[in-house]
Amino acid sequence: MPWQHEDIVLKAVDYALSLGAKYAEARYHRTSRSSLASRNGEVIGAEKSFSEGIGVRVLADGAMGFSSTNVLEWDSVKKAVEEAFSKARSHGRLMRSPIELSEEKVGRASYEVIEKKRPEDVGIEEKVSYCSDLWKHASAAIKTARVATLTTSIGESVEEKVIANSDGAFIRSRVPRVSVWYNVVVTLPSKGTVQRFFSHAASGGYEWFEKWNVLGYLPEDVKTFEKIILEAKAPPTDRPVDVVVGSEIVGLMVHESCGHPSEADRILGREAAQAGKSFIKPSMLGQRIGNENATVIDDPTIPGSNGFYLYDDEGVPARPRYLYKEGLINEFLHNRWTARVFKTRSNAAARAMDYASEPIIRMANTYFKPGDHTLEELIEGVRYGVYIKSYMEWNIDDERWSQRYGGLEAYLIENGELKGLVKNPVLEITTKTFYSSVDAADRNLAFYAGTCGKGEPMQGVPVWFGGPNVRLRNIQLRVIA
Amino acid sequence: MTQLIEAAIKLRDSALRAGFEEAAVLAESVESIMVKFANSEPSVIQRWSTRTAHVYLAKQQRILGTSVPLSSPDEAARIIAELHALHTKVPPSMLYAPLPEPPKPQPLEGLVDKKLLEVLHDPSGVSEAIVETARRHPIDHFAGMFQVALERKALATSKGVELEEEGTSLKMYIRAFAGEGSGQWALGSRRYDIKRIEEVAATAADLAVKSRSQEEVPPGKYDIILSPMVVGNLFNIVAEMASASSILMGASMFINKDVGDKVASDALTIIDAPRNAELPGSTAFDDEGVPTYTKPIIEKGVLRNILHNSKTASKFGASSTGNAGLILPRVWTIEVAPGEHSLEEMLREVKNGLIVTNNWYTRLQNYVEGIFSTITRDATLIVRNGEVVGAARKMRIADALPRMITNIAAIGKEVYDIHWWEVDIPTRTPYILFREVNTSKHTA
Repeated sequence: MPWQHEDIVLKAVDYALSLGAKYAEARYHRTSRSSLASRNGEVIGAEKSFSEGIGVRVLADGAMGFSSTNVLEWDSVKKAVEEAFSKARSHGRLMRSPIELSEEKVGRASYEVIEKKRPEDVGIEEKVSYCSDLWKHASAAIKTARVATLTTSIGESVEEKVIANSDGAFIRSRVPRVSVWYNVVVTLPSKGTVQRFFSHAASGGYEWFEKWNVLGYLPEDVKTFEKIILEAKAPPTDRPVDVVVGSEIVGLMVHESCGHPSEADRILGREAAQAGKSFIKPSMLGQRIGNENATVIDDPTIPGSNGFYLYDDEGVPARPRYLYKEGLINEFLHNRWTARVFKTRSNAAARAMDYASEPIIRMANTYFKPGDHTLEELIEGVRYGVYIKSYMEWNIDDERWSQRYGGLEAYLIENGELKGLVKNPVLEITTKTFYSSVDAADRNLAFYAGTCGKGEPMQGVPVWFGGPNVRLRNIQLRVIA
Repeated sequence: MTQLIEAAIKLRDSALRAGFEEAAVLAESVESIMVKFANSEPSVIQRWSTRTAHVYLAKQQRILGTSVPLSSPDEAARIIAELHALHTKVPPSMLYAPLPEPPKPQPLEGLVDKKLLEVLHDPSGVSEAIVETARRHPIDHFAGMFQVALERKALATSKGVELEEEGTSLKMYIRAFAGEGSGQWALGSRRYDIKRIEEVAATAADLAVKSRSQEEVPPGKYDIILSPMVVGNLFNIVAEMASASSILMGASMFINKDVGDKVASDALTIIDAPRNAELPGSTAFDDEGVPTYTKPIIEKGVLRNILHNSKTASKFGASSTGNAGLILPRVWTIEVAPGEHSLEEMLREVKNGLIVTNNWYTRLQNYVEGIFSTITRDATLIVRNGEVVGAARKMRIADALPRMITNIAAIGKEVYDIHWWEVDIPTRTPYILFREVNTSKHTA
């Protein structure tokens, strides 16, 4: 690993302390990216870019100042330190609750993720062929409807950081990632359109492409989308039914309705004007949110995960966090500020998108703990209901209580068997209803990739979310009219 | 000649020396500060100083690109050399068209406000004004932010374009909380006006107080007045769907429409307004150096313009509309043409309906059909027989954009300049009354 900029990071921390900062932290942060974009098998263009710079956080007179520069010369970094310090100090008089940080055993360590199949060993010709083959196979898969558009983007990135702070942390890391994203539109003008956005992403190298097998499954998906247009019927909305929720939706649900409301900065109101507050109040640790089947874990340390890290951007060692445990609100996601407020220890959730971003509390890889059923058993246990495998539209209110998922691929279940496709079923329920209605989960644990948005300016960070397929009892569905 | 255009020219020339036939370099320098508030106090003060080059490269109809820090010219040269080595290995781009040789644009006056530069240096006075304004209202607490920036851009292309522009901007929003209620308002401007800043805080506080006590409203169809915050959010999506790139990529409800088709109510005109120097996002030239001009996207309900750069224009057999990003077209700023109604007059048109003052998390089930839902997040006021009679708990608008923009009953005459998280493209818009909007709620 060719480490650079270590000296300038350490010097920035020392300089901030010499100005009178109570706490100082500097982070060299570089992200290099390459991508290839195509439409309907034809290449649009290729890109190779990088961003790098230093972000500095300074605590002065009880206020937090952040400043960054992408000019990696001492004069610029020194000015950034001065800006962070002076702007924090000028706002000290407005602070009603001066900011303090928890005491932590911060790390001094280096780590990196090794690609099994390195990007430099995969020629761009191979990526061009991949996009072209995807289009050929997907567009040839159907005869009645047609694939109007297949937009594809293949990406790779390397994120490198050197973090130092005035409490002795010194962390160096290198995390490469790969991704593929597509948008497919299947249409039969007289009948309608089905659209699917989807992405895969993970840390590591091109070994992931074989596992994802988009070339194998996308033509089959396209056939299903054609069937949805031609055959799908209205879902049952006249009475409550049992619903088997696909792992893809379960993953998103735990991200939205467990991970986000468990962020302690949100609970304390720091994101109130942006991503909102939380239905979880500071006093709600230990309160029931669901039944004993509901356990949700956020774990940054999963090898190969999109949200992988071993130390957070405040230098705190990472570990799995049990956010909901057997139906109880068990643990919040903390950084050192919220840990201090809650009189606990940080669980290493502070992460910044890039050098120009302050570290804030983020999820990493959030998942619903699998159960002991098979998918077949979940379905066999339903006399009348719906299996919703995938989604397109979704949203949740800004306290993370009322959530909605528009089903894409979904089936009617009658007497324990999948019957025909149903179109546009909507699962629109509260967080408590979801976690209280799960009567069984299967043994599968599938992860899905996302870029989670939070902060101001908006920071998008890589995450995974996942879980098993789960069965909910007695749910009133809606339908998109 | 400034250092920024010199850097752009240097990078362009180095790309041409490396063997590329065409190059466009957009060099950007941003000095910016943001004060973020939570629980009625600053939560962080952030200061940025960034200089970046975005580079478009073409050879034998292959398109390649990069973004690099301007302070790393050696690394930029290395990446450009790597991209040149790649060009023979990728096929010609389906979007390729030669860079244009545009006429010189008429500079846009009034993009810089010296008072905002002073705030960039010392924002504490504005912070205090916001805190003080909020304190004058009976609210529990407030959150929000204001951001001031000085942005410079320089463009150098291989077709002889060498242009520069600089502008200041203010982006701010405040969310106030009172009892069960909350209110949020926003502002985007290129000018400093402490009265407008204080009005944002006062409006947010007023809406919070008005929604202090809330009741359940059953889901169904309602006549709904959407505030400029909500109109801005939804029409950002509509305007982006009019970009040729959205149409090409399958993310537009205009895919099966032609210019000249009726797509909305006669009352609706949505304009891409890059030459409105009062709105952030305004600019005299696009990323290919083509002079920008103000044009309707939808005029009196008729689709009038698809937004193009020279590449998509070539693909569509059209002309550039001065909306180039380096690769794909973009919307600069949005104006919704005002109508003739006061808010009170619009209210009188509503027998059983709502005023939705803010929303978030708009997602689409299907872009081609424009099917979406979004959630109210602040004051949603209940209207009966032309009067506000209470405030509703959170609910969703779950409808289709093509249907909604056809069902417009009245457009307000007063406009507001909105720019925040959920209104990413600065938008000047009035309140709008939509008929028979479908709403939804969780079932359990």
